[in-house]
Amino acid sequence: MILAANVSAEAFAQLTASGIFAGAAYGLLGVGFALILGVTGRFHFAYSFTYTFAAYMAFTFWDRAGLPFWPASILGILVAAALGVAIERIVYRPLAVRAGATALLAVFVASLGIGIAGENVIALFWSSQSQAFGGRKAHFTQDVWHIWKVNFLNWDVYQTVTGLVLVLILAALLRYTSLGRQIKATRVNPDLATIIGINANTVYLICFGIGTFLAGVAAFWYGVQFTVEPSMGQRPVIFAFVVAFLAGTASGPVRVFFTGIALGLVEKWSSMWLEVRWTNTAVFVILFLYLISKSLQGKNLFGWLKLARA
Amino acid sequence: MDFQIWTFYLSQILIYCALALSLNLLLGYAGQVSVAHAAFGAIGGYTVGYMMTIHGWGFVPSALFGMALAFGVGVLVSLPAMKLSVEYLILLTLAASSIIIGVFTTIKDLGGTYGIISIPNITIFGWHMERKSDWVIPTLGVAIIVFAICWRLGESAFGRVLKGLREDPLATQALGKNVFGYKVAVFGITSGLAGLAGAMYSGWLSLATPGLFGFAFSLTIFAMVIFGGMANLTGSLIGATAVTLLDPILKRVIKIEASRASVIQLIVYGLALAILMRLRPQGVLPEGRTIWSYIRRRKPQTRMEMITEDWVPETKVVIAGGHEADVREQARRESRWHGAPVVLEAHGVSKSFGGIVAADDLHMELRKGTITALVGPNGAGKTTVFNLLTGFIPPDAGSVRLNGKELVGLAPDKVARLGLVRSFQDVRLFQRISCLQNVMLAVQQQYGENVGRLFFGPLAVARREAEVREKAMDWLRFVGMSNFAEIPAGAVSYGQSKLVSLARALATDAEVLLLDEPASGIDTKWVDSMLDLVEAVREQGRTVCIVEHNLHVVGRLADHTYFMELGRITAEGTIDELTNSPRLAEAYFGTA
Amino acid sequence: MEPPDLSAREEAPLDPPGAVKQRTQLLSIENLNAGYGKKHVVFDVSMHVGEGEIVGVLGHNGSGKSTTIRSVLGVLPPFGGKVIFRGEDVTRRGSRLNVKNGMALIPSERFVFQDLSVTDNLLLGGANDPDPERRAQRMELVYKLFPILRERAEQLAGTMSGGQQRMVSLGIALMSHPKLLMLDEPSLGLAPSVVHQIFDVVRQLADTEGLSVLLLEQNVGQALRIADRLYVMRSGRILLEETVEQMKARDSYWDLF
Repeated sequence: MILAANVSAEAFAQLTASGIFAGAAYGLLGVGFALILGVTGRFHFAYSFTYTFAAYMAFTFWDRAGLPFWPASILGILVAAALGVAIERIVYRPLAVRAGATALLAVFVASLGIGIAGENVIALFWSSQSQAFGGRKAHFTQDVWHIWKVNFLNWDVYQTVTGLVLVLILAALLRYTSLGRQIKATRVNPDLATIIGINANTVYLICFGIGTFLAGVAAFWYGVQFTVEPSMGQRPVIFAFVVAFLAGTASGPVRVFFTGIALGLVEKWSSMWLEVRWTNTAVFVILFLYLISKSLQGKNLFGWLKLARA
Repeated sequence: MDFQIWTFYLSQILIYCALALSLNLLLGYAGQVSVAHAAFGAIGGYTVGYMMTIHGWGFVPSALFGMALAFGVGVLVSLPAMKLSVEYLILLTLAASSIIIGVFTTIKDLGGTYGIISIPNITIFGWHMERKSDWVIPTLGVAIIVFAICWRLGESAFGRVLKGLREDPLATQALGKNVFGYKVAVFGITSGLAGLAGAMYSGWLSLATPGLFGFAFSLTIFAMVIFGGMANLTGSLIGATAVTLLDPILKRVIKIEASRASVIQLIVYGLALAILMRLRPQGVLPEGRTIWSYIRRRKPQTRMEMITEDWVPETKVVIAGGHEADVREQARRESRWHGAPVVLEAHGVSKSFGGIVAADDLHMELRKGTITALVGPNGAGKTTVFNLLTGFIPPDAGSVRLNGKELVGLAPDKVARLGLVRSFQDVRLFQRISCLQNVMLAVQQQYGENVGRLFFGPLAVARREAEVREKAMDWLRFVGMSNFAEIPAGAVSYGQSKLVSLARALATDAEVLLLDEPASGIDTKWVDSMLDLVEAVREQGRTVCIVEHNLHVVGRLADHTYFMELGRITAEGTIDELTNSPRLAEAYFGTA
Repeated sequence: MEPPDLSAREEAPLDPPGAVKQRTQLLSIENLNAGYGKKHVVFDVSMHVGEGEIVGVLGHNGSGKSTTIRSVLGVLPPFGGKVIFRGEDVTRRGSRLNVKNGMALIPSERFVFQDLSVTDNLLLGGANDPDPERRAQRMELVYKLFPILRERAEQLAGTMSGGQQRMVSLGIALMSHPKLLMLDEPSLGLAPSVVHQIFDVVRQLADTEGLSVLLLEQNVGQALRIADRLYVMRSGRILLEETVEQMKARDSYWDLF
């Protein structure tokens, strides 16, 4: 049957821990995606490609170019961020200007194409096999920590903490700096932002840079823990979409991050009642229910009219 | 070249064509983005696998059953899709795809992650499918059936409403179309067709696995439609063929090693998609174009040369007078207004949005064969009144009666069907379809809007369609735009689009027309022609209400005028009476 | 900048169009044509604004007032014509440069950043000014003009009353130290007393700071109270240019609208 048996307290604690760890990765990805979609309105499907690209670039700088581990990793992530910025500048912006009202669909399609092509370019240059990223030279060894009866991997903890720290830095940036205010202003009221002389194009590029950077960090930790492969971006990025939409793409980074953690918890906890093979589907059922509730309360037609007129 | 291998590719192309065609009806015609099309195919494929291996059904009943199931699931998915914008629609269909494939992957009877891998001995109408090459005929049959259905639905009165849905669902609803019903229907039908194609796919490969129908395949089908051209069925055939043939061309013609070829294939098609969006976003074969039109180098008509500075509409309507009414004329009109029977009566209509009162206890009457004007300063809530009367915004209180029938609580399309139709201040024509199609869409009770009749009464449908066309053409002639009948509405000038929008409202045959700023933005040279038209509409015995800022227009047209300020109607009478009141002048122009 | 002489203004002789103006010209618009896509809204509009002058532009919705100033600022590229600001041709220059150069515009709707605090709104207005000291000074000026904003500094702008939001919008514009302020229907939806207060501040700024104002209004009465000169627009064209006295002398405005 679908329902599984009772769960012990230890197992519950272990599931909670792994839920938080998995959720922190979803959350970080969601924050980046929400920043991009919320501010620029681009449905950036190629986010999965830049994610994968970051891990591969870090891997290449370290393994092939022989740079030390940390500089190589940071450089790799930055190169991926530059790629994200380039995609916005070279592909999305001219497309959106041309497509006008149908920009969202046009950008989505182009993004889809870039994502598919990019993933396979990686496969072409690095082979489509998965590769060990961190383990081989034991630069970064796995370590198991115990707290009470729960096992932690040191990587899990590092990943969650870096994620949290980056999200808090982003939140502070948005709150306390002029750049952050300009980003928020562009999200809240793009028309007025242009009127007071904020250059929306620059803000968009910055959001792509930040968003892609965050995804790159998530990809780096994923690579450290598992292996890198061209298709590694697909599943986590779909989770990032889900997180960003559940939290609301206009919400702040902290809220999006914790929505990610909540989703991780739901995914892991649901294995207490559901067989593991159902848990993935459970997440999408939640998303589906959320969308149903959204369409039920809906925007009322007045909101619709106003939107359509604006 | 090996015959078997090429027939294999041929069957594959035909099945992909069926999937792309059905998605095009949904995406290209109705404008509903779906990244779950392969998952609907999976419902057909898995049904075939399950019913044949476990229950020993035959292929044909299994496939039909799968199609019915896919139809049902499609309808279910369409329900929450009603009010969602594009990005949420992408997300919704992504979730639907993941759930459908996820469920199939986890059910043990369906083979789990391995899927159903040995679908046995398929017989179609007594014909054993022994070799793969036997499948060419049945897959061709299905592709033809799907093409025929999509063509019939897409290129008909039904398809016209779908395009309206794509261009502007609100304006479509304002013309009396049951937007909700059409959306459910098109989701259901296209999902059902995908189910049928999926059943063929699984039958042909003897497989139904999660990987076969995964999200990546949905995206591929999506890409075929975009590549070929949205709302162009021939384009989808080209798209499906091109995407399928990329594989053998790389492997067998250019002779790239197989594993490399599949990678390069995806790079090529990914890049092609991105480049296409930049260079030719409408696809290889844009909407409304045929291959023939390229071979014969016939450019679509644009008539841009007609949209010049000194263009004026060739209306046959000439109203004697044609200038502002003097006081005596106004008094005469006012008494005519009082003598005419009330057609529409609003009583105590109120509405507030979060504490801000948009309409407060409105009372108004529209009388038969007269023009009533609604004037007032900016922000008084005049357009809101139109929204309240037509049901686009449900009032908090009050009643609106059209010939005694209560309208409050009815959906806007129902209100429009009862004979109360509004135009929009910002025109809202359906940009990518022709002016004639815009007006044809407005005709009520069209025979060809019914799916059943499209297939079972083709002759009557064709006859009625010709009638609708003739009627729409008459209205275009009436407003002086018949020369532009075949031009896309997005290509005419702003003033001309106002004329088309008037023709569109008139073609609904509605008894009462609410016109939101009919003369604004029109070239001063022929603004009088527009006013002549509105007067001619009154001569036809229709009831008209206009919202207008230009008081000269009001003075010329109105039989009776309501004055509105801050959500309330505070005065009524002739325009002279209103403008002579110092208090109203103060309300309109403020005080020092 | 000469101190404004109100009595002189009262008796100022009518400037016939085309005559040499006494004030130094800050902005002149020459034969501007503009619109949205295919929709041609503004036809051959010419206007000028002198330093420290408040110029009213009257007309109903859709008369082309807003389109004109959006083209002047550069958020909407004009179809044709010229915009001269501070002696330079700034036609088709982007809004960013124009704002840096001293233009400010307040739209008629959605004129604050609703989800941001009052302080953040004001700081955004001054974002192009690299000098923090001058920013602080400007903020002090805004708070002095509208003390309520200092009290509500941390409140989200979207939660304030309509009048207070108008003040915030004026504050945003003033933070960029503008020479020319373009106000789009600032009286819309406000109680007369609030309109009165805000208009007084605008007049005061013109007199003390030499701020030039292009005031788009339907509220003729209030506009007449503070304007130096008026244009009336209808259907995207300038119908007439008049002094305040000429306008006041009319017994009805209906035929202008």
